[in-house]
Amino acid sequence: MTDNDFDLSRRSFIDRVLMATAGAGMAAAAPWASTAALAAPVAKGDRVRLGVIGTGDRGRGLIQNIAKTRNCTVAAICDNFELHLAKGRALVDASTRAFTDHRAMLDAGGLDAVVIATPLDLHKQQSFDAFDAGLHVWCEKAMARTIDDCSAMVKRSQDSGKVLQIGHQRMFKPTYLNAVRRAKEGEIGSLTQIRASWHRQSSWRRPVPAGATDRQINWRLYRDSSAGLMTELATHQIQVSNLFFDAVPTRVMGSGSICFWKDGREVYDHVALIYEYAGGRKLIYTSLLNNARYGCEEQIQGSKGTIEPELGRIYKELPPKELALLRMQADVASGKKRTVPIGGATWFAELPVTTPGDSLGWGEYDETMLQFEGFGEAVRTGKPLPGLLSQAYYASVASLLGEQAMDSGQVMAWPTSLVAI
Amino acid sequence: MTDVVRFASMGTRVELHRFGAGDDDALTAAQRAIEAVDDALTIHRPSATTALNERLMAGQGAAIDDALLFEALVTIEELRASTLGLFDPAADRRFASAGWSAIAFDRGAARIEISQPVALDFGGFGKGFALDRACAVLREKGVVSACLSAGESSIAVVGEHPLGGGWPFAISHPLRPDEILVELELTDESVSISSTVGAGTNAPERAAMIRPTDATIVSAPRCTVAVDRLGAHAEAMSTALLVADEDQAERLLNGDRTRRFLFDFPRGAAIPDQSARMSFND
Repeated sequence: MTDNDFDLSRRSFIDRVLMATAGAGMAAAAPWASTAALAAPVAKGDRVRLGVIGTGDRGRGLIQNIAKTRNCTVAAICDNFELHLAKGRALVDASTRAFTDHRAMLDAGGLDAVVIATPLDLHKQQSFDAFDAGLHVWCEKAMARTIDDCSAMVKRSQDSGKVLQIGHQRMFKPTYLNAVRRAKEGEIGSLTQIRASWHRQSSWRRPVPAGATDRQINWRLYRDSSAGLMTELATHQIQVSNLFFDAVPTRVMGSGSICFWKDGREVYDHVALIYEYAGGRKLIYTSLLNNARYGCEEQIQGSKGTIEPELGRIYKELPPKELALLRMQADVASGKKRTVPIGGATWFAELPVTTPGDSLGWGEYDETMLQFEGFGEAVRTGKPLPGLLSQAYYASVASLLGEQAMDSGQVMAWPTSLVAI
Repeated sequence: MTDVVRFASMGTRVELHRFGAGDDDALTAAQRAIEAVDDALTIHRPSATTALNERLMAGQGAAIDDALLFEALVTIEELRASTLGLFDPAADRRFASAGWSAIAFDRGAARIEISQPVALDFGGFGKGFALDRACAVLREKGVVSACLSAGESSIAVVGEHPLGGGWPFAISHPLRPDEILVELELTDESVSISSTVGAGTNAPERAAMIRPTDATIVSAPRCTVAVDRLGAHAEAMSTALLVADEDQAERLLNGDRTRRFLFDFPRGAAIPDQSARMSFND
């Protein structure tokens, strides 16, 4: 792709975000997106200087997206595993400083903010260290290993007056934003249920290179450092559910098991949960690691239709068939004799609708870039992107609450002690 | 009095509408009659028919102890003759050369013998047979005006319409529901509609229509309608018309062109694309 091509597709992407978020309803529902899309470009020497902590796969992906932004630059990188650090170095200028300890990176100065892409259990301390160093923080989702740690991060951000932004890319994806807009405009009626799943055919276990430990590489599989499917996958989709329902769950129940990959891992490879929302609405969530048939999807189910944002499709419910014999009863009661329409094949239980529906009409683009442009704008102005942190905070809390429900076998109520944002 | 009962039976949704005179428990009794037929003739759970099929599939003869099953078999044997042998509840893809011709039914001894393994699947006949018994119960209970439906494809009426005259029905086109294939008025009659196309024909529980002459699946897009005094007879006729070749169809239709109908649709016809009815704005 040439620079011109990139500029063109970038403009198209931004235009779509702005179109999707236009209107008073969406301005209230997803105010962060338009603010990020309108971020002004900044001269290279004035860009927000980021120190990236963690240059594993995700961290390197973030570095590549930061490079696409017009207001951020990677000023330093850090990883305590040499192989990852070397791969990170290959993506940045030779002049970019590299560290094996994040505190050393913070002490060296020259940064406006840090980007944290490390195992979940490290997020809180690393963000605390960054806030203490006077820096803003962009942290990968989920926020932290416990609900208390999530709350502590929010509190520390507030106390320090520094921006805390969490990486939830769907919140910047035009397809999702457009879907939310159409749902809010009533196209699929009253939303009562969301079915979401993230199903993979994968052990999730990565080979451990020389010089690294299993827990270092496969930290997602161990309880100390991860809630597994809940914090790595479910948190994305719970956030989507909260966004469409415009609410947080009231309580959650669930069941988890290590059902297939009995390889010494500590986190569940099968999870099934029901999140209840006010008014009887529900998110029904499943995630598993040995069957990819239904993949990753959210089915937003309303009284008039269904939106499947990952597939980029919107379906309309067919109007209910008039019950001909019922009408006949009413006709007779009112003294009318009308022909009764009958026929067709014998009635059977409803089958799944296999018609494709209509396209939501938006192409693919890596919205992670837009997240960073928004973060850059927030750092430059000292004002967090509106509404964004609460979305991430509540999604992380919900995912960890789901873990508690599965572990305890109890219905877990939404905590009342969360930090107000 | 006007009342209605709705319940699931015979693998579909059954509605019984009664107007005017009749005992209070008429509809309940009619429901019980339908459920009794379902219990005897179903092949989807243990029943007299599944017990019989187990023996027949094993190549063994069997005594027919169940009264409803016996009556159904008697009726079927009579209907075989009136449908040129095209109505065949023993037609089976697994046994191409089998079918009712492999069965020797001795009414006097209430016993079936077979020349090769077969299995019975009463299908739509069972619904018509059940509606006939329900209509008989309603008449016994003093009902003079009622409409009974087993799914969308099997209807029976008792007496005249409550406002007088026949009961007016319009049979919808299975592929274009807004169009009407034929309009009928029924009095003390039943109508059966059979189709190889349209909504529900691909339902997993729905058995394919088997041509008894060669045990092949009837795939040509076709819809048939038959009216008769008895529902079982209407079902047998609509089924026979569905599997009939051109000459056979002519012979069957000539029996009563005002009460039997056959509609052939263009090859390639299928369930309409419902997405065309969706007009979402991008």
